[in-house]
Amino acid sequence: MIDPHEKTSRPARTTDEPANGMMPPPIRRITLDSQPTVALPPSQDAVAIANTGDRSLAAAGRPTRGVAGPERMTISDLSVYYGDNHAVKHVSLPIRQGEVLALIGPSGCGKTTLLRTLNRLTELTGTARREGLITLDGTDIDSLEVTEHRRRVSMVFQQPNPFPMSVFDNVAYALREQGAKRPKKKVLEPYVVDALQRAGLYDEVSSNLDHPALRLSGGQQQRLCIARALAARPEVLLMDEPCSALDPKSTNVIEELIVELRKELAIVIVTHNLQQAYRVGDHVAFMYLGDLVEYGPTDDLFDNPKAARTRDYIGGAFG
Amino acid sequence: MLHRLKEPWTDRRAGLLLGALACSVLAVIVFMLVFIAIKAWPSFANNGLSWFSSKGVVDQQFDAMVNSGLNPSAADYELGAWPLIYATLLTTFFATFFGLIFSLLSAIFIVEFAPERIRRVIVPVVRLLAAVPSVIYGLIGILVLAPFIGNSVITAEQKSSVQFVIPLSGTGLGVAIAVLTVMITPIMIAITVDGLHAIPRAWKEGALALGVNRWRAMWTVTVRAARPAIIAGAVLATARALGEAIMISMVAGSKGFSPNPLDGFVFFFEPVRTMAATVVENAESINAPAMQSSLYALALVLLVGAFFLSLGSWIAKQPLKKYGTRS
Repeated sequence: MIDPHEKTSRPARTTDEPANGMMPPPIRRITLDSQPTVALPPSQDAVAIANTGDRSLAAAGRPTRGVAGPERMTISDLSVYYGDNHAVKHVSLPIRQGEVLALIGPSGCGKTTLLRTLNRLTELTGTARREGLITLDGTDIDSLEVTEHRRRVSMVFQQPNPFPMSVFDNVAYALREQGAKRPKKKVLEPYVVDALQRAGLYDEVSSNLDHPALRLSGGQQQRLCIARALAARPEVLLMDEPCSALDPKSTNVIEELIVELRKELAIVIVTHNLQQAYRVGDHVAFMYLGDLVEYGPTDDLFDNPKAARTRDYIGGAFG
Repeated sequence: MLHRLKEPWTDRRAGLLLGALACSVLAVIVFMLVFIAIKAWPSFANNGLSWFSSKGVVDQQFDAMVNSGLNPSAADYELGAWPLIYATLLTTFFATFFGLIFSLLSAIFIVEFAPERIRRVIVPVVRLLAAVPSVIYGLIGILVLAPFIGNSVITAEQKSSVQFVIPLSGTGLGVAIAVLTVMITPIMIAITVDGLHAIPRAWKEGALALGVNRWRAMWTVTVRAARPAIIAGAVLATARALGEAIMISMVAGSKGFSPNPLDGFVFFFEPVRTMAATVVENAESINAPAMQSSLYALALVLLVGAFFLSLGSWIAKQPLKKYGTRS
């Protein structure tokens, strides 16, 4: 099931190709005006996108944009330094409930640093220094207890990092660490099952919750990490290229999950994958060398980028 | 003929040579074990299982062996080695126990909490301490620690409370444990630090990102995952403590005596002598066949003990590997 426009146009394109077989980057061939005639189910769609890299296809199976809720976190004039290196330069961004903010940009542009700053993980790096204000629900995050803050603003990493424990213990970890008294397994079970269900993993692991988490597949491990973060009931979920270590199918599952989770959480996702930013992002922020170049609703930013650097990056000219 | 050696070696040739080397090491160990067992046999044969029990005064039994001449009768082999075994178990257990606590806490400090400048100094110093010859610790024990305890810590009442059983001079179980702990802790710290460093940073960050503080993240994730390394360090240190001879013989009081836990705190002031210390102290009397056989018997028990130590640590590590990456 592929868009009919797509099918007819493809042979024409292949004839235009240079004889040496060098394909132009697929992302350049953007047909923004072609509306799909058949809405595709997301899973097939994602595979098709992975094969063709066509963004019009992405638009076809793309879920509707989230409804922006109240602003949960506000970043104002944030700068982060590693020693003398000015990694994030005077960035201001809002993070809203009920939508996904996608951070895009080439490697080393400060996306991950920005994300880690939101979780106050940059403070672990001795040389890191921060300027500017970050608020969570109007409160300066520096005035919050750091553990309390990280419970409310949780993070999923690039490499799946389940702990070397059972699946159950992984999800129950944050719950166990939160209370002063260690709760019984019986008490924790409903919470663990709920978190696994929300992460879309429960059906696959329900019969072996006591198996080692490290024996799950990569995609399952990443969803386990998401479940582990969700179990603590965070208000903001930060995702640092959560799909970069995964295959297209697992990626698709996690993207659907992100769109689903958007309803109850504010999500910030860092991604190298422009299609992914387009598929899951409600707002997109493009960063380059520490600067926030452009920020706007996903459709606006991809269709009518205002800055030349954004246009070049989206067009695949660099990055 | 020789020119063939200059050619690049094939894997087959390298494998054969290395295999032969490894086998020769094994062969030496097996030969040693058999040799010691044969030499030890008269001692075990003449005592039966009572060799492991406590009968009579062990030091008098040794004196009898030395005086028995070149043709000892069966009665001259009489030995109840329990006080020596007991002393070995006590010193090794307490030293490993305290060493494990100190080394784990120090390693956590070094890995997680120490500022970079301190860490850069402390790690090489710890590795240096791990290489200090034990006799130096023994010297400090006998010249500084033992006189201090004998003169300032043990009270006259404590001395008189056991005066008909054993004189207290300062050297004894407590000093032996203290010096032994100091001796084995650096090597345990070094191995534990390496073990903690080997745990992926991502696990710790994952825990921190869930709102767990650094101490809890260290304890529940990093230390948990590093347990096999911690056990390995403890076993290495225990083996050192088990076989330590010179230093113990200097500071432990050198009496074949079984400290009585019912004596209360005096327990730790009572002199002991471990198996390894006994072997080293009586090496000059080795020409007496009865003595020789007894010392070989002690050596065999130590050797078998060390073997069971390795086996025990291997068994202890098995369940810990269940959730690890190696399946």
